[in-house]
Amino acid sequence: MSVGPAPTRPELRSARFRQEREPGWRRLETLVTRAERGGPQALDYDDARELATTYRQAMNSLSVARDISLDRALLAYLESLCARAWLVVYAPQESLGGLFTRLISKDIPQAVRRSAVPLVIGYVALILGALTGWTLFYDDQDWFYRLIPPSLFDLRGPDAPTSYLRQTLYEGAGTIADDLTAFAAFLFSHNSRIAILVFAVGIFGALPSFLLTFYNGMILGLFFALFQSRGLEFDVFAWLSIHGVTELAAIAIACAGGARLGLAVLLPGEQTRREALRQAGGDAVKLAVLAVLLLVVAALVEGFLRQTVQAPWARLSIGWGLGAVWVLWLALAGRERGGR
Amino acid sequence: MTLQVVEIEGEKRRLEGFTPPEGVPIAFTIATAGTRLGAQMLDFVLTLTVIVLAVIGLLYTRALDFNASVTLISMLALLTRVPYYVLSELLWNGRTIGKRLTGIRVISADGRRLRPSQIVARNMMKEAEFLAPAQVFLMGGESGLMLVLTFLWVCGVAGFFLRNKRRQRLGDVIAGTLVVEQPRAVLLPDLSLAADLPDSAGLIFAPAQLDIYGRHELQALEAILRTPPTGESGQESIRRVAATITRKIGHEPLPLGQELEFLRAFYTAQRAHLERLRLYGTARENKFHAEGQGGKR
Repeated sequence: MSVGPAPTRPELRSARFRQEREPGWRRLETLVTRAERGGPQALDYDDARELATTYRQAMNSLSVARDISLDRALLAYLESLCARAWLVVYAPQESLGGLFTRLISKDIPQAVRRSAVPLVIGYVALILGALTGWTLFYDDQDWFYRLIPPSLFDLRGPDAPTSYLRQTLYEGAGTIADDLTAFAAFLFSHNSRIAILVFAVGIFGALPSFLLTFYNGMILGLFFALFQSRGLEFDVFAWLSIHGVTELAAIAIACAGGARLGLAVLLPGEQTRREALRQAGGDAVKLAVLAVLLLVVAALVEGFLRQTVQAPWARLSIGWGLGAVWVLWLALAGRERGGR
Repeated sequence: MTLQVVEIEGEKRRLEGFTPPEGVPIAFTIATAGTRLGAQMLDFVLTLTVIVLAVIGLLYTRALDFNASVTLISMLALLTRVPYYVLSELLWNGRTIGKRLTGIRVISADGRRLRPSQIVARNMMKEAEFLAPAQVFLMGGESGLMLVLTFLWVCGVAGFFLRNKRRQRLGDVIAGTLVVEQPRAVLLPDLSLAADLPDSAGLIFAPAQLDIYGRHELQALEAILRTPPTGESGQESIRRVAATITRKIGHEPLPLGQELEFLRAFYTAQRAHLERLRLYGTARENKFHAEGQGGKR
């Protein structure tokens, strides 16, 4: 602190102001430096209290200095000191655990309930896609090869014999758990990337999200039609249900998140587009997070349960049971008690 | 107060009107596009290195069987994308490792603290804006149409980023965040106290002599005095500054070697004068104040 051997009598008011306040700024600077190095944990209770006081004093100094001082170095110093202190004082305070709990118990369900229209868009895209795929298959089976990338259907095409198709639905009964972990991890990283993409492209007027979801629905429709044409509709329905209820919901929800962004861009209302996007952003991101969470569950179910659970009725009840759990959670959790 | 972006020298832009809850606006310097690209590249290389090291380690030690290795690597590949950016920005208040190294950080544009939902929003969009296209180009194996589409997409995203003044990418707009330079604070000595000036009659100024210049000139003089130019040419330029000032204010010409002392004394007197005027409500922005421009604020 440089108060020590001060010149006898500074004639400038701003210089005197600086001499009086400087010890406080220096103190704040040491506290801020310590917090920057070691995080807020580096400060004990008294330090933290002192940080708050000296921060407010520095802010006050800055405000005064702007009015009375023309010393540019002083203003620059105070400005960056206040900025640094602001960054330390207004740092995120949530613990990761608390954050997650709040997200699950309140934020996500509320965001979903606020997004009825986008959710309808997401599901409509999926269902329309499925219907289109289904119709196309009965129109001309070649659509199957044209629309689905070969890596996705392997040998399960319209040319495969029915016995083979039936076998694919019930294969892997004896697989060991190790394989399944790898499979589930692969599924999740693949699907979550698609979901995030579906979400993010929505910012361009919602249409790209819609198209991607529509395409996903079309693949679903084509697959279903293929198995249906061989009289395997019940089996494939059960096979798809066990993970599909959750997984397709995730895609539709990711699409809804994208649609939320897209609608903000298309119909910003009274605000600027930038402002409308920022407001829609919060809910949209929660929808995307929900989609990723659902995909974790879907990957686990698809990786483990689909292989180990073979009976169609069991598959159906697990799949739709999970779906019911999601609906109950999203519809009921996080409602404010007492109402307003 | 709304946010404004003011260009300062070269590439740099200054953000003004950023108001914390205390109500006193503070200024930040907006991070340049180059710095941000650098930070992103650092993060990208860093995460890739982690994955490559893990792969090499697993191949070399054969600690895990094939399936467990695949699981580990694909989970790692996933964690080093969006989750890495979200967690590091959450833990270090808006800084990833790349941002720490390049000295930039994320702040919330509304002056409040950075909220987790903002961090998640900007980084989910990063996946679509940067990471997914990077994967398309790096991995190869995509069709020509896909490459063209991806290229157009990247151009659009980069165009948006470079064209807006605040240097926000799409993710920043959705999240309501800004990326700024880490402020650094150094308190320089007060020039008005720096020198023990002799009270010789030549260094006392009359009010009329101090009515010529305004804030801008005073602070330009401050910049010269803070780092006086050295060497032969430096001496010469100081002499020229002093000569100009003496001519303008009607001061007698200076004896050789006294210029710096004169400038210091003039600075102190001029600052005292202008600050006193300012206190009484007359803020003189520059030397044109007499002509009615820039006189009052």
